[in-house]
Amino acid sequence: MSSSGEAAAPRSGGWLTLRRRKSLLPLALVIPGLLWLILFYAIPIVSQLWISLQTGNPDDGFAQTWNWAIYGDSISEYSEQMLRSLQYAGTATIACLIIGFPLAYFMAFKAGRWRNLFLLLVILPFFTSLIVRTVAWQTILTDDSWITNALKTVGLLPQDGRLLATSFAVIAGITYNFLPFMVLPLYASLERMDRTLVEAATDLYASRWTAFRKITLPLAGPGIFAGVLLTFIPAIGDYINAQLLGTSQQYMIGNVIQSQYLVVREYPTAAALSFIMMVVVLIIIAAAARLIGTKKLSEAAVA
Amino acid sequence: MRTPFDRLRDGLLGVWSLGAVVFLFVPIFVIVLFSFNDNQGRFNFTWQGFTLRHWADPFGVEGLQQAFVTSLGLAALTTIIAVILGVCVALALVRHKWRGRGATGGLVFLPLATPEVVLGAALLGWFLTLGLIRGFVTLVIAHVMFTLGYVVITIRARLEGMDVHIEEAAMDLGANQWTTLRKITLPLLAPGIAAASLLCFAISIDDFVVSNFNAGQTVTFPLFVYGAARQGVPPQVNVLATAMLLFVVLLMFVNLGFQRRSARRQNREMETTPALGL
Amino acid sequence: MPDESLDHFFDRLVSGEPISRRSVLRRMAASGIAVGSASAFLAACGGVEGSSSNKEEVDTSNVNHPKAPIGTLVFSNWPLYIDEKVIPGWEKANDAKMRYLEDYNDNEEFYAKVRQELEQGQGIGRDLVAPTDWMAGRWIDQGYAIPIDKKNVPNAKNLLPSLQNPPFDKNRDFTLPWQSGITGIGYDPTKTGRKLNSINDLFDPAFKGRVSMFSEWRDSAGLVMLGQGVDSSKATKAQCSAAIEKINEENEKGQIRRFTGNDYTKDLAAGNLWACVAWSGDLVQLKADNPNLEFLVPDDGGMSWSDNMLIPQGAKTPYGAETFMNYVYDPVAAGVIAEYVNYFCPVDGVQELVAKKNPELAKNQLIFPDQATLDKLYSYPSLSAADERELTAQMQKVTGA
Repeated sequence: MSSSGEAAAPRSGGWLTLRRRKSLLPLALVIPGLLWLILFYAIPIVSQLWISLQTGNPDDGFAQTWNWAIYGDSISEYSEQMLRSLQYAGTATIACLIIGFPLAYFMAFKAGRWRNLFLLLVILPFFTSLIVRTVAWQTILTDDSWITNALKTVGLLPQDGRLLATSFAVIAGITYNFLPFMVLPLYASLERMDRTLVEAATDLYASRWTAFRKITLPLAGPGIFAGVLLTFIPAIGDYINAQLLGTSQQYMIGNVIQSQYLVVREYPTAAALSFIMMVVVLIIIAAAARLIGTKKLSEAAVA
Repeated sequence: MRTPFDRLRDGLLGVWSLGAVVFLFVPIFVIVLFSFNDNQGRFNFTWQGFTLRHWADPFGVEGLQQAFVTSLGLAALTTIIAVILGVCVALALVRHKWRGRGATGGLVFLPLATPEVVLGAALLGWFLTLGLIRGFVTLVIAHVMFTLGYVVITIRARLEGMDVHIEEAAMDLGANQWTTLRKITLPLLAPGIAAASLLCFAISIDDFVVSNFNAGQTVTFPLFVYGAARQGVPPQVNVLATAMLLFVVLLMFVNLGFQRRSARRQNREMETTPALGL
Repeated sequence: MPDESLDHFFDRLVSGEPISRRSVLRRMAASGIAVGSASAFLAACGGVEGSSSNKEEVDTSNVNHPKAPIGTLVFSNWPLYIDEKVIPGWEKANDAKMRYLEDYNDNEEFYAKVRQELEQGQGIGRDLVAPTDWMAGRWIDQGYAIPIDKKNVPNAKNLLPSLQNPPFDKNRDFTLPWQSGITGIGYDPTKTGRKLNSINDLFDPAFKGRVSMFSEWRDSAGLVMLGQGVDSSKATKAQCSAAIEKINEENEKGQIRRFTGNDYTKDLAAGNLWACVAWSGDLVQLKADNPNLEFLVPDDGGMSWSDNMLIPQGAKTPYGAETFMNYVYDPVAAGVIAEYVNYFCPVDGVQELVAKKNPELAKNQLIFPDQATLDKLYSYPSLSAADERELTAQMQKVTGA
């Protein structure tokens, strides 16, 4: 490193001050960012609980009444959308894994000099706006589109069937929009893997399949785990896909929260639902962190 | 010892991967194509002939230019703030031991894992409680909040991959912390900072959900598109989306070239100064 | 109103006049006092939104907005609702600028977006908004509207007589219609294979999954009630509720593809919808994309409504807003807008003007309806705020969110 020589010049400085500075330094570094997150993340989230326990109506206002019953009420009222969210997010996550794992495996081990190109191609579509992409899917899946007609011709879709405004369209949309959240962590964990282990195994007469099963999969485990989590969690709160590609029969819990907040203005219900969602997500994360550790999890998020 | 079976398997894998990439590009193709559509009515979803007129006048729709400029400014400001805060936090997390480090790491990660609807809604209530009028400022606050985690994690990964010995060597040789940071750590972090900035910018410019709750009167590009989607997205939106894509491709190639060059240089230096390479 | 001085306000406070929490906030905001801390404190004591509902009666008899430099006028209107060619004429005449925003996409959504600023007595950064009748009523009832200084709007005399005394604003003290329109049925006869003539045709099993309705109950349930022989303008809560229940039944059968707002137009033009509840002006414009489309005022009746210009609380220039109202009530400007937007024009004298240039358009029943068409039109039910909320919640459950 060219700069290291210069820095290596001996400097005189009080050892004590350096040490004291050392103990204060992390604090100084972390406080602005930490404050930002406490003020604009932690407190607002907790304030949701406060809002959820109020009663009243949007025209005359709400007052705090510690109405804990709201939690039971909103769960029974919207259980259908909650279950649907779990189901759609789960299906989309599995679909992402099925599409994404071979792709990540190919990029990590087989793509050779095309590897960077593939990586670029996987990331690139996501530099166009999510809304624009989803609107494009609307165009692709219309009742008169070639893909709809083709599916009808080969009999995969009944003659009076449709693609748009069905759960298929919504799940496909979610799968599409969250695929990179699956592929990238998978790729990162596979790429980091020590291939010599697999070679060693096959040298020792393990079949390729056995080597894959006993070496590759376990080593890719944290990546798969992170990918599943990073796809599932945002998918469960998504409402854009259901909004643009689905109908009221496909609405998820995210649609309920946004409409309760932005249309009906039943803030306590909305706050209760979003607080429930937050708790569910926290439980999932805590369980995951316990299993593979927060650091691996968060690294995989971006790596 | 590649058997025909291996070749078949690799071939299938390749075809599958290519298929996946095609899947990713289907809507992109449609977006690009319809930026050239000579649409006659209000809508832009049936192909009616080729034209360049939307490219000649990308801001020919009322409000689009302002929305686009707002989004660029918002993303730029968000990136600057989030990267500065994020690098600091990452340094503190990786290079220092202190009480509360674990909890801070968790807090940094949480916004990433919080569904966007929850983030948007929670902030909305809070801003109004504070009496902050929603607008550009609240958008910046919100965007920094949810991009900060991405920055920290990117930088942290880079820091952990970095050789601590170089920094330690500098310190041992008497460089103080500030000098070490300035002369050693930050230059080594540069690619990580570049990656974090790009990520930050991309996430901010694409955000719809949180912005929808907290924009007030301000209209960003995604908000504009969402509003327009109810009435038919004008082709100019496709033009801008395509242009942004081209810009990113360009940026990535520049970045790739830069990485190759620095990798080559690093290799050369490693060869000539093996002692530093350790 | 906001120009009341702080001293005066404290006088009232000392003299023990009743002051609502909201008016405290409004005055503090108006006087530029530290709104942030005050409202944060007060909000922390109460709920998400104000806990007082006492409406302040505004005396509209001596409203006075003297002539003053306008600067920039901010108008939030529905998308595709103006021919922007008309704006420069007003700008020149008044030496002012207009920021014309097309961000009024949905009545409830827009209201929810600005509600908390209104609640805290702050302005919403706009000088004119365009709520539909029932929503305009809500703004007025809540005290969020600034009365119009009628001296500044002499052209208001051109307002069609039928629109002069709506129940929500009996003397048009706060509002003037921007455009009016009809909620009826939009359909593509080539897809349905037959002419439609009633709202009940939407429930034909042959059209299963190719039909949409508005997620807003007043339009959808209104039409359904008319189809059931109920006069929507006199409907009771029970009748409205029954109509929503009918929509629910059809939805559960899969008859209704989507519940939409503005966005039905796209599905209709794309052919995803064969027939749907639609707004009159849209269909005229949609013909450019799909010439087969027809608009129908059902035999059993259509809903008529207006979107109204209203000056929201905290507007920077009520005078400017009034000059603009006056400008668009001049038949010449109104004619330009009518030709572009194709909605039912609320300004008298426009038909004659348009007839000279474009006789075909002047005969269009959707823009200049004759008595026979007008007789088929009904207005929204007028119910108490609590009833309306319950119906909104009921409809919200049907539409799935």
